[in-house]
Amino acid sequence: MKRLEILNFKSPNRAPLKVEGFLFGEESKGPSLAIVGAMSGDHINQLYVASRLVEYLRQKEKEGKVIGKILVVPAVNTYALNMGETFWPLDKTDINMMFPGYHLGETTQRIAAKLFESLQGYDYGIILEGRRDQGMCLPYVKLIQSDYEDLDSARDLGMRFIHHRRYSPIETVMLQYNWQLWETKALSVVFGKNGSIDPISSKEVHGSLVRFMSKRGMLDIPVFEGFSSNVIEPDHITVLKASHAGIFEPLVSCGTTIEKGGTLGYIFDALSGEKVEKIVTPISGVLTCQYSYPLIFQNSIAFRIASIE
Amino acid sequence: MGVIEEVFSIDLPVGEQFRIQRCRYIPQSGETLKRISIVSGIHGDELEGQYVCFLLGEWLRANPEKIKATIDIYPAINSLGIDSITRSVPFYDVDLNRIFPGSKNDFLPAQIADGVVNAMKGSEIAIDIHSSNIFLREIPQVRIAKSQAKTLVPLANKLNIDFVWVHDAVTVLESTFAHAMNMHGTKTLVVEMGVGMRLSKAYGHQLLDGILNLLAEEGFLDIEPLDVRKPIQSEIGEVAYLNASYPGLFVPAIEHCQMIHKGDVVGHIVDPLSGQMLDEVIAPIGGILFTLRAYPIVYEGSLVGRIFGENG
Ligand SMILES: [Zn+2]
Repeated sequence: MKRLEILNFKSPNRAPLKVEGFLFGEESKGPSLAIVGAMSGDHINQLYVASRLVEYLRQKEKEGKVIGKILVVPAVNTYALNMGETFWPLDKTDINMMFPGYHLGETTQRIAAKLFESLQGYDYGIILEGRRDQGMCLPYVKLIQSDYEDLDSARDLGMRFIHHRRYSPIETVMLQYNWQLWETKALSVVFGKNGSIDPISSKEVHGSLVRFMSKRGMLDIPVFEGFSSNVIEPDHITVLKASHAGIFEPLVSCGTTIEKGGTLGYIFDALSGEKVEKIVTPISGVLTCQYSYPLIFQNSIAFRIASIE
Repeated sequence: MGVIEEVFSIDLPVGEQFRIQRCRYIPQSGETLKRISIVSGIHGDELEGQYVCFLLGEWLRANPEKIKATIDIYPAINSLGIDSITRSVPFYDVDLNRIFPGSKNDFLPAQIADGVVNAMKGSEIAIDIHSSNIFLREIPQVRIAKSQAKTLVPLANKLNIDFVWVHDAVTVLESTFAHAMNMHGTKTLVVEMGVGMRLSKAYGHQLLDGILNLLAEEGFLDIEPLDVRKPIQSEIGEVAYLNASYPGLFVPAIEHCQMIHKGDVVGHIVDPLSGQMLDEVIAPIGGILFTLRAYPIVYEGSLVGRIFGENG
């Protein structure tokens, strides 16, 4: 293992921002993969999975099981992680909205540029992402259609769902899209709840990453098969919204198979305590995502359900 | 007198609604289909537009007989943010101006965007007033994507501003309010002026004159057009960006909005701990310093100024 300094960026008063990478194996022996962890300060679960993976790979390398070249960057925005912020603490910009970066540009564009430079030339790229809202979801693969995306390798993670959809305008400045354009087979694994660590999702994602590395020839270890992934397009998802704001009490959790007509949760008036809504599913399927903050806003998405109909 | 209407309302969890209000002024003869929207506060830390909305409302209240078509004033789109010094949509931490056109089926910021578009669509013109951010001070200017230049530049020239900046179209800007409205056929101008969290009174009055002039020329007000300044056009020159080379404290050496020469000192970056001067920020071209950093702390890369210089 080599510990690399990808970035050392001075601050006016704080200790410098250091972005570190952990490099395993050698390129000449097999394919290469780079994994990027927490790009924002609330992606603690992503940091956790990445750092546990570093520890795992260190062990496997000692055992001589690493065939390809694997880079893990557990954290990019350590400044935000160290102070409970989400974005770049001074100007509140999101590093994952600055790609491909610009060496002569604004601070976070420079950080993105440096990071992006160190991610060039890898065969595969995996971004560990959190959701961009107050949701919690079954871990899934987010693969955007840039015309360079690779669905086959995404399937080798063996995750239950692959969300495969056209990119939105803001995704053109995110890492996945740009990494794909620079010819790395890049995808994102989205999981967890921002600001916390979910042990079950973490294990599942870790297992998927190991499976991917084994199947794609970077790790010489046998693995169990995962799911035969369902490729989900946006119209396979049913969205159940809260008609009322208030206190949210879900009765089910992500990954549950649900039957049409089942009760998924309640909303209570936050002041009077009155039950204002019973959320019932109009469709059978698998609960993939749920609102995960105790106070819910009117029209917030309470649940997302994937179905095959 | 205008009529105050609520155009979007959504329940917040504990006994409150998130709301967007407008004040609508109509001709004495009644409402018209022809209407214009004056908008501010998409970013909660930008307040210059609030003052312009006030000044315009004050003028319209005093001159109701001059109104020829419907004029809608929306001073506070991100109302939750404005009342709490929060640039983004609070709780979600999402920049509202990167989520348009929004959707009814998505999270709160997207629903707000959708509500805004629905309230304003059908307007002939919209003027979206921003005040940069808390870091930079800007001279009154309108920014226009190249693809819209033909329609929008002539309109921008009526606004009594100092600078019209036509920039390349970038995909990410397709998620702005202005882009969404332009796609709906509403000619939408984005004004940037002043600085976040503060008021620049003179700029407010300057833009008021511009809006009154535009309203006169476009048939919303029955008054003589005003004598407005002719803005500098970005096509005739180039914009130079001054980014900090060192982290430290930026101390400007000159005033904002000044003509400067190539080689002039714009400011210094100093280190309060060691007492050393770290860098001298030098103008790479001559021209007008139309952007100047207002917030002194800089990292490497932080923008400290922008200069527009004419070619030749
Ligand atoms: Zn703004």
